[in-house]
Amino acid sequence: MSIDDAAPAPLKVALVEDDAAFQNAFRTALTTAPDLLMVGVAATAAEARGMLCAPPADVLVVDLGLPDGSGIEIIGEAHARWPTCAIMVATTFADERHVIASIEAGASGYLLKDSRLETIAEDIRTLHAGGSPISPRIARQVLMRFRPDERSAATPESDAATGVPSLSDREKETLQLITRGFSFEEIAELMNVSRNTVLTFVRRIYAKLEVRSKTEAVFEARAHGLL
Amino acid sequence: MDFFRARWFPWAAFAVAGAILLMIALVFQARAGGERVTAAALTATQTIGYQAPPREAPPNLQRGTPIALPYSPKPFASVGLGATSILSLPTQVSWYWVELPPRNNNGRHIYLYIPRRKSDGTLAIYADGRLIHQTHSNLQWNGSNQPLLIAFPQTDGSEPPRSLQIRLQHVRGIGGALSSVWVGDYRQLAPRYSVRDFFQVQLPAFSSVAFLFTGVFGLLLWFGRRNERIYLLYFAMSAACFVRMLHIFLGARPLIVSDDWFGWLTVVSPYWMILTTHLFVEELHQRRKPILTWTIVFAGSGWTIATLPGLLDPTLISVPIYVSLLFVGLIGAANAIVQAVKAHSRVSLLMGIWCLVTIGAGIYDLCLQQNLVNIENVYLTNFTGVGFTLLSWYVMYSRYSDALETATKAKTDLAERLALREAELTASHAQLREIENRELLHRERQRLMQDMHDGLGSSLVTALRAFESDRAADIDAVAILHGCIDDLKLTIDSMEPVETDLLLLLATLRFRLQPRLEASGVKLVWRASSIPPLEWLDQRHALHILRILQEAFTNVLKHAAASQIALTIHVQDDRVLVSVQDNGKGFEPSSPIRGRGLANQKSRAEAIGAAISWAPSSRGTTLILSLPITKSLATI
Repeated sequence: MSIDDAAPAPLKVALVEDDAAFQNAFRTALTTAPDLLMVGVAATAAEARGMLCAPPADVLVVDLGLPDGSGIEIIGEAHARWPTCAIMVATTFADERHVIASIEAGASGYLLKDSRLETIAEDIRTLHAGGSPISPRIARQVLMRFRPDERSAATPESDAATGVPSLSDREKETLQLITRGFSFEEIAELMNVSRNTVLTFVRRIYAKLEVRSKTEAVFEARAHGLL
Repeated sequence: MDFFRARWFPWAAFAVAGAILLMIALVFQARAGGERVTAAALTATQTIGYQAPPREAPPNLQRGTPIALPYSPKPFASVGLGATSILSLPTQVSWYWVELPPRNNNGRHIYLYIPRRKSDGTLAIYADGRLIHQTHSNLQWNGSNQPLLIAFPQTDGSEPPRSLQIRLQHVRGIGGALSSVWVGDYRQLAPRYSVRDFFQVQLPAFSSVAFLFTGVFGLLLWFGRRNERIYLLYFAMSAACFVRMLHIFLGARPLIVSDDWFGWLTVVSPYWMILTTHLFVEELHQRRKPILTWTIVFAGSGWTIATLPGLLDPTLISVPIYVSLLFVGLIGAANAIVQAVKAHSRVSLLMGIWCLVTIGAGIYDLCLQQNLVNIENVYLTNFTGVGFTLLSWYVMYSRYSDALETATKAKTDLAERLALREAELTASHAQLREIENRELLHRERQRLMQDMHDGLGSSLVTALRAFESDRAADIDAVAILHGCIDDLKLTIDSMEPVETDLLLLLATLRFRLQPRLEASGVKLVWRASSIPPLEWLDQRHALHILRILQEAFTNVLKHAAASQIALTIHVQDDRVLVSVQDNGKGFEPSSPIRGRGLANQKSRAEAIGAAISWAPSSRGTTLILSLPITKSLATI
């Protein structure tokens, strides 16, 4: 994910969505943006898998409710096949459950389906540029997941040993400010850092969330004798 | 094991023990030998008071009245019964002369065995005219019930004795009886002596001592359980029985009390036995028979007082005492049987019947005492006494095992009842929880319905009416629908748990409204300081707060023409103040256009125990929502 705003080549955007109306709205939003190029649309999970065999897009937007499977799986597969691609989950309410599951599968942001068309294009650009959105509720959920007392032996050393990442103090502070309703700009001001740094914190938090969920899966598998 | 717990087991154990005892006795008896002598001559001399026996037997005893042993003179009422001193009593010396069968001197010690005699005073035994043995006990209570086994003196060159002279001194008309005598070596006579001694002396002694021991146990039990009188009565019964039995095994040596006191104890104690047994039966069946009780008390205490030492001599007038005793005992036994039948108690019935048997035995013993039957027989009441001991033990044993069983059953019952109660409680708790859940669900449903009706529904209807009217072109359909979606999002947000975190709730509101504010070009200044958790903040409250503030923002966007909105959250005293300040043109709260929205906000604030106020000015409007921190200040 290189930040390359000056590049003349448009961003290649792919969409996995079974709702024709949103497909159309999405298309419209992209047509009006010259820097965004629609490279593929899949209406089912099967089509999406076919699409993943093609060369990678820069941004992939995935709807979770597909007729033949879960969007979460597609996110996971896309993250593996297209490691450079920024994945977004398309959701109406940005509800914690779906967004966090998507982030754990490898997504790095979400797109609100009821956004205005200009906002959709802007969100895609922001995400590609490294800016992951995060709602106060998701921030709180993430904080809860990384609570130190959640694991019996959750000292930093053991975290290092087991490979389960923990949040840094700055990252925790960022999340706490988000739960209090502050915007990225305000947080940057309050923490005396740049807005980009705050975005980096959020991106790192998302990455840790993903690693953490995978490590946990390994733990679970070991506990159940599968590994 | 069921076998040991069976009701008949103790009885069977008793029976087996008795049978073994009898068998041992029979085997012993079968090995016995010796020669029994029954031919004798009796010479009687009348005396006053008691004299020591002479050094040598007077000659010519051989010429006394020939009699056959066992011999017992028929009793008669002596003229001197009223004598106050024993020294002035008319007495009689009975000399028995017995010719012994010739024996070869095989060097073994020769023994004399006298199974029973009936006499007061000293017993003196002479061999070939020379004194060889003399008792040295009390005059009246001298253990004459106990068999006697003595060895003839054996000196260098001595020959087996050829004749025996036995001197008895006794009250004229009473006693003076002698059983047949046995001569033989120790091996021949010891089994006879031992068996008789065991049954006549040791067994009654053992049984009465054992009875007393269990009685003491009962007494200790009673000390701890004062309201259970039966244990005290059990002890009293055993004590009376023990006192009564003393004369059976004591007396061969001088007593520590005088004959007067010992006689008094022995003769009147059967009354105490009857009284205590009667009270025991009463207690056992919980049926009072006051007349009978008082009769026994009256008769018993009457004799007890009348025969106190210094008054009537109980030893001499024992016959009328025993006769009246048998009478009272008969009534008591009849009552015991009736009570047992009424109570369907087999063991009590057995006890009552045993009382009757004892009375029968008592009549027999009275005859034996009065020399009316063969004096070689034994007192039967000694054995009925053993039976009583066993029966009493059985009663107490039943009581004890019943109590244990009751305790075990009570424990089980208690556990069962507890489990039942627990199940009931769990069920009722579950029921209550279900009702509570249903109530909660109902309230939630009503809340959402109301919200849909007031918010989303009303917005959609407004939009519909607008589309239908000819003003369709004027309205911003997109804005209305966005408003509807915002409404819906807030409704959904209000259903998520906020867990007392007001800031999170307000942050969510900002997150929802931010796109609209940005689209309107209004800058939002966020001043959130940390606040304590609001314990009362639940989903219902959350929605009201969201709606109040949503309305505030909408009003600013629609009417104020402001460029900036500042939202401040801070604590003042015991309240959290949320203020929304715009830099718009301000408004008149009483204006009809705004009135409805404000009234709505106000009623929502009241519903959650909050206060709302507006401060309009030319430089904008400030809305202040004041929320209590603690629940006591909030009205639910």
